[in-house]
Amino acid sequence: MADKKEELINIVGAENVFDDPETLDAYSRDHSFVPPGKSRLVVKPENADEVQRIVMWANQADTPLVPVSSGAHHFRGDTIPKNGGAVIVDLSRMKKIIRVDRRNKMTIVEPGVTFPQLQPELTKAGLKLPMPLLPRRNKSVLASLLEREPTLIPKYQWQLLDPLRSTEVIWGNGDRFRTGEAGNHGPLEEQWKRNLAQIMSSGPGQTDFYRFVSGAQGTMGIVTWASIRCEVLPQIHKLFFAQSKRLDDLFVFAYRLLKFRFGDELLFLNSSNLACIFGDGVDRIRALRDELPPWVFILCVAGYDMLPKERVEFQEKDIADIAQEFAVHLSSTIPGVTDGGMLETLLNSSKDPYWKLNYKGGCQDIFFLTTLNRTPGFIRTIYSVAEELGYPAADIGIYIQPVQQGVACHCEFSLPYDPGNQQEIDKVQRLFAKGSELLVQQGAFFSRPYGDWADMVYARDAQTTIALRKIKSIFDPNNVMNPGKLCF
Amino acid sequence: MAIEDYRSTMERCSRCSYCKWIPFAHVKSWRFAKGCPSIEYNKFHAYSAGGRLAVALSLLDGRFDYSDSDSLLDIFYKCQMCGLCDISDKICRYTMEPLEALREIRFKLIEDGQLLPQHMPVIDNLRKEDNMMMKSKTERGKWADGLDVKDVTQESAEVVFHAGCRFSYDEELWKIPRTAVTLLKNAGVDVGIMGKDENCCGVRAYNMGYRGEFTKYAENNIEAWTTAGVKTVVTSCADGYYAFKRLYPQLGSKFKVFHTVEFINRLIKEGKIKFTKNVPITVTYHDPCHLGRQGEPYIPWTGEEKKIRNQIVVREPRKPRYNGLNGVYEPPREMLKSIPGLELVEMERIREYAWCCGAGGGVQEAYPEFSLWTATERIEEAKATGAQAVVTACGWCERNFIDAINESGQKMKVYDILELVQQAL
Amino acid sequence: MALLKEAYQALEDVVGPDNISEDPAILDSYAYQWLAELINPDGGHFMTRPEAVALPGCTEEVQGIVKVCNKYKIKCKAFGTGWGAWAAPYDKDVVLLDLRRMDRILEIDVDNMYAVVEPYVIGATLQAEAMKVGLNTHMIGAGASAAIIAGVAAFSGAGADSISMGHGSENGLAMEWVLPNGDILQVGSLGSGCGWFCGEGPGPSAKGLVRGALGACGGMGVITKCAVKLYPWPGPATMPIEGKVPAYNSPLPENLRAHTLAFPTWQAFADACYKIYDSGIGYIAHRQFNKWGEALQGAVLKIVSDPTKQLDDLEEMLQRPEIQKLTEEMRHSFQIVLAGMTHRDIDYQEKVMRQILAETGGWEIEALADPEMEKWVLLYLIKLPFKNLNFAMATYEGSFAHSGTPDFEISYIEASRALKRKYIGKGVLADDGGEAMMAAIARQGGGGVLALEQFFFYDPQDINSVLGAQAYLAEAGKVAGEMKLGPGLSGQLLGSKPKDKLQQMLSSVAQPSVFHYQRKIKEAFNPNDIGDGSYVYLEEPSKK
Repeated sequence: MADKKEELINIVGAENVFDDPETLDAYSRDHSFVPPGKSRLVVKPENADEVQRIVMWANQADTPLVPVSSGAHHFRGDTIPKNGGAVIVDLSRMKKIIRVDRRNKMTIVEPGVTFPQLQPELTKAGLKLPMPLLPRRNKSVLASLLEREPTLIPKYQWQLLDPLRSTEVIWGNGDRFRTGEAGNHGPLEEQWKRNLAQIMSSGPGQTDFYRFVSGAQGTMGIVTWASIRCEVLPQIHKLFFAQSKRLDDLFVFAYRLLKFRFGDELLFLNSSNLACIFGDGVDRIRALRDELPPWVFILCVAGYDMLPKERVEFQEKDIADIAQEFAVHLSSTIPGVTDGGMLETLLNSSKDPYWKLNYKGGCQDIFFLTTLNRTPGFIRTIYSVAEELGYPAADIGIYIQPVQQGVACHCEFSLPYDPGNQQEIDKVQRLFAKGSELLVQQGAFFSRPYGDWADMVYARDAQTTIALRKIKSIFDPNNVMNPGKLCF
Repeated sequence: MAIEDYRSTMERCSRCSYCKWIPFAHVKSWRFAKGCPSIEYNKFHAYSAGGRLAVALSLLDGRFDYSDSDSLLDIFYKCQMCGLCDISDKICRYTMEPLEALREIRFKLIEDGQLLPQHMPVIDNLRKEDNMMMKSKTERGKWADGLDVKDVTQESAEVVFHAGCRFSYDEELWKIPRTAVTLLKNAGVDVGIMGKDENCCGVRAYNMGYRGEFTKYAENNIEAWTTAGVKTVVTSCADGYYAFKRLYPQLGSKFKVFHTVEFINRLIKEGKIKFTKNVPITVTYHDPCHLGRQGEPYIPWTGEEKKIRNQIVVREPRKPRYNGLNGVYEPPREMLKSIPGLELVEMERIREYAWCCGAGGGVQEAYPEFSLWTATERIEEAKATGAQAVVTACGWCERNFIDAINESGQKMKVYDILELVQQAL
Repeated sequence: MALLKEAYQALEDVVGPDNISEDPAILDSYAYQWLAELINPDGGHFMTRPEAVALPGCTEEVQGIVKVCNKYKIKCKAFGTGWGAWAAPYDKDVVLLDLRRMDRILEIDVDNMYAVVEPYVIGATLQAEAMKVGLNTHMIGAGASAAIIAGVAAFSGAGADSISMGHGSENGLAMEWVLPNGDILQVGSLGSGCGWFCGEGPGPSAKGLVRGALGACGGMGVITKCAVKLYPWPGPATMPIEGKVPAYNSPLPENLRAHTLAFPTWQAFADACYKIYDSGIGYIAHRQFNKWGEALQGAVLKIVSDPTKQLDDLEEMLQRPEIQKLTEEMRHSFQIVLAGMTHRDIDYQEKVMRQILAETGGWEIEALADPEMEKWVLLYLIKLPFKNLNFAMATYEGSFAHSGTPDFEISYIEASRALKRKYIGKGVLADDGGEAMMAAIARQGGGGVLALEQFFFYDPQDINSVLGAQAYLAEAGKVAGEMKLGPGLSGQLLGSKPKDKLQQMLSSVAQPSVFHYQRKIKEAFNPNDIGDGSYVYLEEPSKK
């Protein structure tokens, strides 16, 4: 191991190689129920050259690598080594915003770039990036997109991987490769001189290589930059709410807006989640939860840089007409929330502590894809399991996010618990396990199978498992990239 | 023309498959989007117009011999020559003639002795008995027994009504030519018939590839009408209409030609036929191929192809275009709409893009299953409109629809348009 | 080499004797292809004759055929409608799978806006059924006659409507795929038994194997079912069609408008593209009618939209002053169809469009704003029923079409035009003036890139013209290489190249390892090598 440390020091420098117990311990566990796993070393490369050398070294040294882009706390278990002797490759030093291109509405970022770092730079250029829902402040933009975390604006997603476009990836075999349009031409600087902007994600050739690193939890390679499609920054941005006792009473309204592509941000939150977002501390969160309606549909209407007022005006009127048609009442406030900066809160990164930990200090998420109209069935299931196990259903946070222009829907159950209370831990673990199992059987599509979900999901889909293993054997023949994750 | 003259059509084919579908502008559903019965029934690409052009080119280029292929005759003969392919092709193409090419291929096959066995008895009978119905010549005029109408072989008349082989010999359909003649007479038209001396128009043999037989009958008919002093030819048979309107003028015929839907529609508009009864029925109208898209008048043309702008082929002088534009679509619809109480609903595939009844091109004679399948498809389409009856203006269509309905046990009536006119009198 | 009798019998046992043939007449109907004359050095019209053609009727039959092919080491290649030389065999000893019996629309989910289709469902029929329920489908540039799955999985994928309906590669959801080894892979949510709504995952997306910038063109198994996204259609359930053959038109309500926008310069044209992307307007945006050439486009447009006119009128039409004016006006123009989901929506989009014109010095071409013309243009662009008008003047093919931003695209117009004019000068290509570039204003959803496709016209019966067209294409490739334009339209026919030439071309791209990986993918998924040359790869690992 001393040799390995030396070899890595030769690549990244001594100040960027860590093997002290505190550091190793921090990387060995996260907020998930995935059992801890200690790595042997942590390295922090600065650029793609170093990453490539690390990967090539790992192949020669037969050493697993676990890429990490975001800062703690992690929640999915994907950054915990499953195999012993692993080296954590922490990419947080790679935090260059390589390019912001207003004309082509593109940005190129390294894996260490976070949302709070990127957003102001985009704003300066008159751009914005569709956000996920209140990501933590140290969340990597690139990791969020690679892991297909849903964003708040379904109309901008022509496909599920949007807005991710071209990437540079160091495959598990050490090969440095560019996916998408970026792979069709020479160096990036030359491309920019010729007004190319790495916009397309397809190819090169007859293969969509970027789909192999999508949802891969770092098992195929390490992405060292990605081009991302941005949108025009709104000059006017208004927030609306629709409340309901029953979730499905809002569906027809939502489906119509999705079909017409009216509105921008569009999502559903239950009272529990909203209380965690806008409340502070257990008592305030509980009180707010009681004041809030069970379901809130959140909609933003925006005007960009061309006739922004007119856009907002016509959409407001049309949306009001549609709301009336479906007996939905829209307002710009919700009971109990006096926060004047609601829009800002919803559209930015979470304050610290991360909002999901606001209530009890710990939280487990169950999430999957389905279609909007099937979500009530899954909600009934999780409530039923919660009741059976004595978990307070009122605590369950529910987030429903239409994605890909409404063809599918991300459904997320957040299960808060007190990490200092073993009883609560046990209960949540059982709820998580049994709930997940029943949801899978019911037809929930766990498209991002973290932790134990992997076994559940791949056991049902033998051919995909075979195909993915073949892909893995091509791009990471020595299985150095995060082995033991997914079906690998 | 010879087959080599159509090499250009073969080599210009862009393999787009438009020939298999109705013009895409008119597609209203998945169910009724198809245009070519042959490709739908026979499946292999060779059974489309584009496929046939490719096969013909392959033959011309010597890529295979007649003796190499067991499917060749089926490929070229399992086609009703309905012309839908021609219409769809010409939506976008100005210098291709697929239907003419398909016909020329048949001419060549006959000339080369590649005879479809199923057609031989039909042609033999034609040669002996002057009809396409496998019947004796002596029975030709029986449909008109008891009808008080001039015999133009004995006395002259302005107008000759040509019954055609189907109406002459299909007893179930005799009411139609009888009605036609009666309507014309009662409206004051100086009309006569050839009766037992009427001969086949020749067009079904023509479409089977027997160019020589056609020419013989055409010349014979032209001479007979000339001798009879006839000026105008009227028929209720779409096949005959096409022959007289489009083909006979190429052999020097100068007669005016009308289908009864045109003639009688005019008489209705002139007030010479008046309706007194309600005919409360919902019907849908089937456009016969040879009255509709192929029912365009002949326009003489002599010219040649030349290239302009280096490689754009045009014709000089401007060549008339047969693309279904001037087919007979309105008169039958006007007639139907003028009948009191009658409601006309349209099928999805109508006018120049109508689905074929299945009877033409020698298919009824040679491939009865395919012929009836085609008709059944059309009946399904008629049913989908909610109509109680399908109405048409061609005996071959009517016979095929009746047979298809009988075989399938469907409940749908078939009328010739003249029957409904008769009911309203 | 004829198929082994045993192999043929095994195939026949799968599909039945009526659904397979090795008759040379039938086989040659499949060997004839558009563009064969540009591939064959002698200008011949036939690609390689297949050994047999089979017509499978369901997934099980497709699987059965693929397994037989594996057993006997026979190559097989499937196609939907089979339009273009890429649908014909590239190698000898290929069994073609004509999928026309698999033509059902299995499902349309109205709320979640997707359809599930079999391979022979074409744009026209899916669109007709979708419109009945207020939805529409993306159609690729080849138009209404092309198979949906071709655009989503097997082939290319951009179309006039891509600005709002995405590229084919963006529209594919879950799929059922008979792999080259005969196994069935259910891609996405389908494999997990969850339905058709998602094409990615679980985990990494195996959909990446199905296609990239281009599909496998039949060379890697068969997609037997596919779910595709649908889009809103704010028009009538059945589009009313009027007019006389062939110039049909469609009178549509006021919330559907077609405009032809013209600009003073290519730069203004590019600026307008960017503004359209930014503003989010546009249901369909396409530079459509310029494909007939800068000198002829006005005249040909007027011919094809008038039922009394035909190609023989071209010379006379070119003399007319109003045609000349129109032709000149069209120089830097494109069409846009605006579809308002509501009255306010269409009003807003119209306002934005006028603002874009004001900001870029553009204008709407009046001659094409005439109501009769607008109805014709609306029908043309919404239903794409007239796409074969690409051939109205003569046989054509496209060239260049190197995807990039609008600023990038306008950078190669002049070079492309100059090259074409050189061959026009030799007399081998039709004299259309030189620039005859067609393009979807956005190749993918929301815009960002387009690909100007330089049409050229030749006479397939004239060997000098054909050989001239071949020479033009070869030189176009050279020019594109020297200008480093990246992959273009020629990529669609890569598999037709002689082996040595192909290997040399694949080695010369910016990132040859792409084709090294494709070789490994082929080895993993197609171990018995039963695909024809449509799925391309490098024989040797690339040297970097």
